[in-house]
Amino acid sequence: MSETVQQKSGPVHGQTIHLPAPTHWPIILAFGCTLAAGGLVMNLGISILGAVLMIAGCIGWFRQVLPHEAHEDVPVVVQPITIATRRRVVERIQIHPEHRAHLPVESYPVVSGIKGGIAGGVAMVIPAVIYGQIAHGSIWWAVNLLGGAGVAHWSHVTDAQIAAFHGDWLGIAIVIQAIVCSLVGLLYGAMLPMLPRHPILLGGVLAPLAWTGLLYSAMGIINPALNAHIAWGWFVASQIVFGVVAGLVVARQEKIRTSRGLPFVARMGIEAPGLIESNLDAGPPRSTRQNEEKH
Amino acid sequence: MADQSIPIGGSLDVTPRDHERVPLLDRLHEWVVTVDHKRLGILYVLYALFFMAVAGAEALSMRIQLAVPNNHFLQPELYDQFFTMHGTTMVFLVGMPILFGIANYIVPLQIGARDMAFPRLNAFSFWLTAFGGILLYWSYIGGFGLYGMGNAPDVGWWAYAPLSTKPFSIGPTIDYWALALIVSGFGTLGTAINIIATTLSMRCKGMTLLRMPLFVWLMLVVSALTLITITPLTAAQVMLLLDRNLGAHFFDAQAGGSALLWIHFFWIFGHPEVYVLVLPVFGVASEIIPVFSRKAIFGYPAMVAASVGIAFVSLGVWAHHMFTVGMTSVSNTFFVLSTMLVGIPTGIKIFNWLATIWGGKVRFQTPMLFCVAFIFQFLIAGLTGIMLAVAPWDWQLHNSYFVIAHFHYVLVGAIVFNIFAAVYYWFPKVTGKMLSETLGKWHFWLFLIGFHLTFDTMHFVGIMGMPRSIYTYEANRGWGHLNFIISVGAFIQGIAVLIFFWNVIVSLRKGKEAGNDPWDAWTLEWATPSPPPAYNFASDPVVHSRRPLWDIKHPDDPDWKYES
Repeated sequence: MSETVQQKSGPVHGQTIHLPAPTHWPIILAFGCTLAAGGLVMNLGISILGAVLMIAGCIGWFRQVLPHEAHEDVPVVVQPITIATRRRVVERIQIHPEHRAHLPVESYPVVSGIKGGIAGGVAMVIPAVIYGQIAHGSIWWAVNLLGGAGVAHWSHVTDAQIAAFHGDWLGIAIVIQAIVCSLVGLLYGAMLPMLPRHPILLGGVLAPLAWTGLLYSAMGIINPALNAHIAWGWFVASQIVFGVVAGLVVARQEKIRTSRGLPFVARMGIEAPGLIESNLDAGPPRSTRQNEEKH
Repeated sequence: MADQSIPIGGSLDVTPRDHERVPLLDRLHEWVVTVDHKRLGILYVLYALFFMAVAGAEALSMRIQLAVPNNHFLQPELYDQFFTMHGTTMVFLVGMPILFGIANYIVPLQIGARDMAFPRLNAFSFWLTAFGGILLYWSYIGGFGLYGMGNAPDVGWWAYAPLSTKPFSIGPTIDYWALALIVSGFGTLGTAINIIATTLSMRCKGMTLLRMPLFVWLMLVVSALTLITITPLTAAQVMLLLDRNLGAHFFDAQAGGSALLWIHFFWIFGHPEVYVLVLPVFGVASEIIPVFSRKAIFGYPAMVAASVGIAFVSLGVWAHHMFTVGMTSVSNTFFVLSTMLVGIPTGIKIFNWLATIWGGKVRFQTPMLFCVAFIFQFLIAGLTGIMLAVAPWDWQLHNSYFVIAHFHYVLVGAIVFNIFAAVYYWFPKVTGKMLSETLGKWHFWLFLIGFHLTFDTMHFVGIMGMPRSIYTYEANRGWGHLNFIISVGAFIQGIAVLIFFWNVIVSLRKGKEAGNDPWDAWTLEWATPSPPPAYNFASDPVVHSRRPLWDIKHPDDPDWKYES
């Protein structure tokens, strides 16, 4: 146990400390406000009484603080008290080097994800077109399935209509494909550095399989008509082509350093001298200092 | 860097206990005229606990009414008054006052200040809040005079128009409701302004924004949110009063007004209000969990950012309460997505609390028990919130007991649990006495069991189609057994709360002396005597890290070496 001693650097107090003096004006003003409000539904006389109390409360309050704030002097008596702990020993949580997830100290630039998404989006069209040609004799089949999902009367469409060329459906399909592939590509670029190992296998094969499984289980509820026209085997193939191509394109881009090691305020771009102290050399970063005390 | 052998100045001084016997009236007078933030904080908490008992009694009466089918324990009119007053009381007269009361007491101590920035405004704010509550309950007597069981607002705590307009709610009860909440609302605004000013301008030397305790951060965020959210409610209530008494037509659809306008106004206030209530208890958990895990909070900057993020997002989600009113698909989609967005910063907080506990030397004393229960219950509340954020799901379950279960999981499972945690944690500081651990554990376990019996079961009756606010139900609906279980759970919670009150009374009289730092904690309030002297700190404290008492207790391993 260690007993504390008098502070040397802080301002030293005197025999007394100025504190705001107790006053009854706030309660009178509050009571006046309440009566003034309540009188509107009870009796106008009560409101008038409330207004009088409000005026009295305001005047009394102003006189409390003008020209000088009323205060009382509270006497101070110094007695030493103890700030100590029984838990003197500090342990560090031991983190095995292999245990911790990889910090993304390096990452791919944002644009690489978009590039990968666009490349994957173009590549996945190939198996989709092949499927349409083989199964339905039309290269527009998959295009119309995608574009038709955005058209109001889709549920009444026939197979012949799906197989035919529709300019508006093609346009819608291109927009959907471009947006979705760019967003997925962005996600891909962000996640790839974080995957511990086999990023292409995880991101290019397993993730599309999981995504397809989710869609397979939900599509029957979300859009039964669309679900009836999807060949899920080919769907998986096109998803995997997207994943592998997008992954390869992203992985070929040059990595850039992230600001992960910088202080939070600096990462947020806040210029705040004095807000944090320059003590970067003082010890390990906070994230590794998960200290705990022994009982 | 400062010499860490230097202690915090204020820790050295205590005011001698005044053993003179002061007459009761003089003592009461001291409390009435006080501007001391600690006394006002205690007044807030006592006031809120009183109304908690009142609103709790109303809830138990409703649960007796609903325990069995075709019951007539309460008159239908009284039942409507009770669910209106229960909701209004718990939100406006219990939740906000108790949290602002705790903040009143703790925030200046945690930032090393001697008082709030505006002590007289602080007193004025409390008394406005208190008189607002009294005015609300005065409606039982003044609504239409004291006849039968009296009269009171009976339109639900949301007071939807046109039900709350003059043709459908004759008599002055709704006027009482609106006026009382306007009065107490101004009190709340005053407190919020005070907390913001205090936090921004009265921190002790060395306490940068990123060294503030998380409870202080959360109260800063909540106060800013309060300023934004109370305003539209006050405006709407003034408009309602104009409609009812001066012939305006803001909410009168037949005269060119819009009843939907009220719903928008109400929920623009109402949904952020949930965050006004829940964010402070996030701060409570962020103080208690590290101390009882013997570790620093995990991810402090992320916790701060998540708090600000939650407050920001919460301002844009109000219409998820309105999926069934017939908004456009674009509006529905926006509010579905914005509501789901709340899950991200909230998830960050839950993960960080778990990461703080992980690997720590956890002490499951009563405050920590309440906090651990809070984490898991709040997780479930969040998940059912996400379910209700999906518009088609909400269309099926809107205004059912599933919704009641969801928001009671937030209000009780998260907020009330953490309020109890806060009371157990800071009671020794406020009174100098420890609350009994034995009674505390009885309180915790009974409350936990009662809570889950009541509110888990409510989800099921909700899914089975039981609407909220109904007075009774037919036996053939199949809700009887589940409602009985819900009511049993409610009474178990009531017993637990009685144990809590008993614990407070017994501990005040015979409790173990707490000392200045009974939990071996790290924030500044534990560097003062218990209870603290009127001036809190005789000398201005100087801090060098987020855990100033850690630095003193571990001079060879202070935090300031590591914090960035």
